[in-house]
Amino acid sequence: MNTTRKPFSKDILHIENIETVCNEIISKLKTDVAKKLQRRGAVIGISGGIDSSVCMALSAKAFGPKKVTAIMLPEQDSSDDSRILAEKLAAKFDVTDTIVEDITKALDGFGCYQRRDDAIGRVITNFDPLVDKAKIEIKQDAASNLPPAFSVTVIKPNGDIISKLLPVKEYLQIVASTNFKQRSRMSMLYYHAERLHYAVIGTPNKHEVEQGFFVKHGDGGADVMPIGHLYKTQVYQLASHLGVPQEIIDRTPTTDTYTAEQTQEDFFYQMPFEQMDLIWYGWENNYPADEVARVMDRTSQDIENIYKNFERKRKTTEYLRMRPIF
Amino acid sequence: MHIETDTKTKIKNYIIESTFDDVEKIKDDTLIFEEGILDSMGLLFLIEFLQEEFNLTTSDEELVVENFQSINSIIAFIESKM
Repeated sequence: MNTTRKPFSKDILHIENIETVCNEIISKLKTDVAKKLQRRGAVIGISGGIDSSVCMALSAKAFGPKKVTAIMLPEQDSSDDSRILAEKLAAKFDVTDTIVEDITKALDGFGCYQRRDDAIGRVITNFDPLVDKAKIEIKQDAASNLPPAFSVTVIKPNGDIISKLLPVKEYLQIVASTNFKQRSRMSMLYYHAERLHYAVIGTPNKHEVEQGFFVKHGDGGADVMPIGHLYKTQVYQLASHLGVPQEIIDRTPTTDTYTAEQTQEDFFYQMPFEQMDLIWYGWENNYPADEVARVMDRTSQDIENIYKNFERKRKTTEYLRMRPIF
Repeated sequence: MHIETDTKTKIKNYIIESTFDDVEKIKDDTLIFEEGILDSMGLLFLIEFLQEEFNLTTSDEELVVENFQSINSIIAFIESKM
């Protein structure tokens, strides 16, 4: 039993010895890849996002930049910024083996776009995928006592917004269709990893792993996940320490999955990372709701409800983390 | 009264069939989400069931715990829409 734990505070997740933490991750990454997995380098998909950027920086330090292959995997819905930032990142860490693999045609072959757009069109009948932008989002507050339901939002070229609650069949079809993106990326990463006898570095952080914000056999398919134990705000701390370009640090995390700009907060987390990290920490370390509420300037009932929301998310997404049963 | 009983039975049967839970576990006032009987996907399928069975459309604004927390709440929600 831990009798000496710190009182809950907004600084509780701040990493004091950042250099040591980075060195430990780098050392473990080397051992995991070279000794346990017996691979001679690392393949990593880079998106210009904070998580993949930190993982690439750590990999470059662990294996040396010549033993890291960075793959950009854009498709027709990807933002142009993603590629520009990914190139800047690779240059910053002297990773010269960078490859661009546009997966649009593969996705088209799977019917990813058509299946997704058909489902959206069944809900919003005047949806025109050629000119309209679309995304799905959760509109309820994380402190709601009800599980989240998803809405589809279509943005017309004139700025008009149409939003409707997604029926379950359409929701599932949209998610299943767009999951082709992460699974195609995984296939391409493994193509390069096997070609080079390298390991695939997975980029999910602690929240993505534990709340199930990843695609099974998609971005959840990797050989090693060096930041899988870190909170998002800690990933930012590492990014600053490692020298990740400031544009990447300043960029709002998006899903880069739907045609309309969509933050991870809208799509899944329902609250800003700074709050989520702390409340998640409070929940998993059994801090009483009223102690967390005082620090976070929220009501105890809010925190109780968010704790329940976390518990529900972890339970609902257990399937994603399960290995095949035999 | 008969209509309410019939509706209640349909909802209860739907929950039992979709969760494989024992009938004794689900009372009219059991908090079905709080107790973990239905999860977030369960809510989406429940909304679909209400649409198909009672032609009842749910809006974003109606997605509040008061309308869905128990069988009694769902009955009250259905009645409020009639």
